[in-house]
Amino acid sequence: MIHTNKIRLGILTLGIVLGSSLWSQAQLATRPDVEQLRSYNVSREGFLLGTVVRFTTASDTSPMGAHVLFQTSSGQIDVHLGDARVLKAAGLELNPGDSVRIVGEPLASGDSTYFAARIVQKGAQAVAVRNTKGFLTTPASVLTPAQKEALRGVR
Amino acid sequence: MKRLPLMLVAAGAFWSAACSGNGIVNPPPPVGKYSKASLNGQYAFVTNGESFTGGLSATPLARTGSFTADGLGNITAGVEDVNAAGTVSPALQITGGSYTVNADGRGTLTLQLGQNSIDFGITLTSTSDGLMIDETSNSAQSSTGSGNFIKQTPGSFQVSGIAGPYVFDFSGLDGNQTIPCPCPESFIGEFTANNGAVSAGFFDDNDNGNFNGASFAGTIAQDPLQAATLSSFGRGVALIAGQNYVFYIVDSTRVRFVSTNGGMLSGDAVAQSNTAPANVSSIASSFVFIVAGSSINGGITRVGRFTANGATVTNVLEDTNDGGHFIKTDGGTNASITLDAANPGRGNLTFTDPNFLNAPGKYVFYLSSATQGVIQEQTVNNSGAVDVADGTIAAQTGSPFSSSNISGTYALNWSGLSLQNGGSFAVQDEEDMLSQVNVTSLNLKGAADIFQFQSGVPVFDLVTSGSLSIAGDGTSSTGASSRNTMSVTLTKSNSTTVNLVVYFVNPQLAFFTNNQNMNRIVAGVLKTQQ
Repeated sequence: MIHTNKIRLGILTLGIVLGSSLWSQAQLATRPDVEQLRSYNVSREGFLLGTVVRFTTASDTSPMGAHVLFQTSSGQIDVHLGDARVLKAAGLELNPGDSVRIVGEPLASGDSTYFAARIVQKGAQAVAVRNTKGFLTTPASVLTPAQKEALRGVR
Repeated sequence: MKRLPLMLVAAGAFWSAACSGNGIVNPPPPVGKYSKASLNGQYAFVTNGESFTGGLSATPLARTGSFTADGLGNITAGVEDVNAAGTVSPALQITGGSYTVNADGRGTLTLQLGQNSIDFGITLTSTSDGLMIDETSNSAQSSTGSGNFIKQTPGSFQVSGIAGPYVFDFSGLDGNQTIPCPCPESFIGEFTANNGAVSAGFFDDNDNGNFNGASFAGTIAQDPLQAATLSSFGRGVALIAGQNYVFYIVDSTRVRFVSTNGGMLSGDAVAQSNTAPANVSSIASSFVFIVAGSSINGGITRVGRFTANGATVTNVLEDTNDGGHFIKTDGGTNASITLDAANPGRGNLTFTDPNFLNAPGKYVFYLSSATQGVIQEQTVNNSGAVDVADGTIAAQTGSPFSSSNISGTYALNWSGLSLQNGGSFAVQDEEDMLSQVNVTSLNLKGAADIFQFQSGVPVFDLVTSGSLSIAGDGTSSTGASSRNTMSVTLTKSNSTTVNLVVYFVNPQLAFFTNNQNMNRIVAGVLKTQQ
């Protein structure tokens, strides 16, 4: 069983590194062990390269949050980007046709899987939308020291 | 999948209706036994939510304080400590304010802090306590959040007023200031206080998925910078396991904390009675639990129940809303409870979740009595923690639950995330709802306020209607078909209905979470008015 899981993970990781289409095919051909995908593991990470087809700040696709429909050389993939306010606070806009690099890995939502972004990079700008444990970044994490100081005015 | 657009349309209609004044449905005039005189004395309050100040994104916010109500509609004194994502504003003086209380226990509370003010919706659950949501929306600040207030006993406003063993649950954000943190943290445990010395402490910490448990010591003291606030408001400072806190004494049985160095942790410490079970063989009860926090999918809530007879645990049910995806756990197996002989009241609950056979459900709890405690999830799979979540565990009493004892007037509060479209773009954001309902023949009727934070504007006096459905004896002890449900419809000019799964603690209290795959993750309480 352990060997089987390692093989599955190996296929999965390779697929991510080579491109999203391989991940999609792996997902269909060898359904990932969703139990392992309930937590984030940086050793499983890979990256996707492609262009933005559609960016949604609040998608009706699970899990809740921002999603991007992403066009790679071998197909389209839906990627969960977490809290759209983080991207906005960082000033990162995603428009159709933008070339983007996404670091992340497949995770489970219920008994289905999706691709979860940890880092979204457009040009020279990279924004962490998850931490290395997979928990979503909040707008509080992108505050500058001056902005944090301004919070002393909160009552 | 079609519910989402409907919900957005309805939510949008709330705002437009509030502005236009056309087609608005208002609740009937309130009836009941409450008045301004019902709020009289000093009350320790807490809220947890978000704030928005000019130029910044919404920021997590925790506040703890004390206000004095004169029974006539005036706030005469008070102080609060505010922690906004780790930035602390200590000992802010409440210089005045006002409040209203309708006959049904609903009302408003405005606290004046110099030139600024903060506003709350309140629902009394007795003359000694109530639930509240932050409804501040003015030129200086918008903020939301859910919380409560409890009448203080000024006679205990001294360091020695905190004495004996306590169980605590502090949750929020850690002190890691390195991007992409601060990160979620749950910190629960117990300690013994004696004339300012904290000893015999033990904690369980889940900091961003990293578990740690250890003994600790600490101190409780007068604040050297605001010494008078101890005798005036029960306010002081504490060092708990190396972390600094401000505290507010409710009475000798409850103390409210908010952290003041780096992170943003807040919560209550509750006195541990000698009725807390000393060994597992003395446990013979059903328990209900609720936890909330963060998962890899976003927000997560779990509500569940189990029956314990000594170490043997049966009839485990759990309902999870993970990132907007609802998961039912029916009939957890291989379930057991253990107690920690070295740390009174501390124990573990484990069970095999049929949905996740290789990641057994695991919780650590600290009981403050035979019927109450705090609980932290510690479920892991091969890669690590599945979430950072904690909450409350309580013995289930007073069954069977039926229309005959689930009856009368209740306060209803939920908090969490929902998809909102009230700002410049649609986003998941904080949602807080506070209502008062009269339950008759399991039908709910009342009025509510709701603040979907992205809009920046709370909506007041929505008509609340709905119904409860109780399965069997209401204990949910007979398996998958024994879940209780509740439907809550909020109406202004259009309606939004939220469907929830409900676990009764007793006829006076129930925990719930929403049970649909939709863009909302909320959990809350239904609490009787006395």
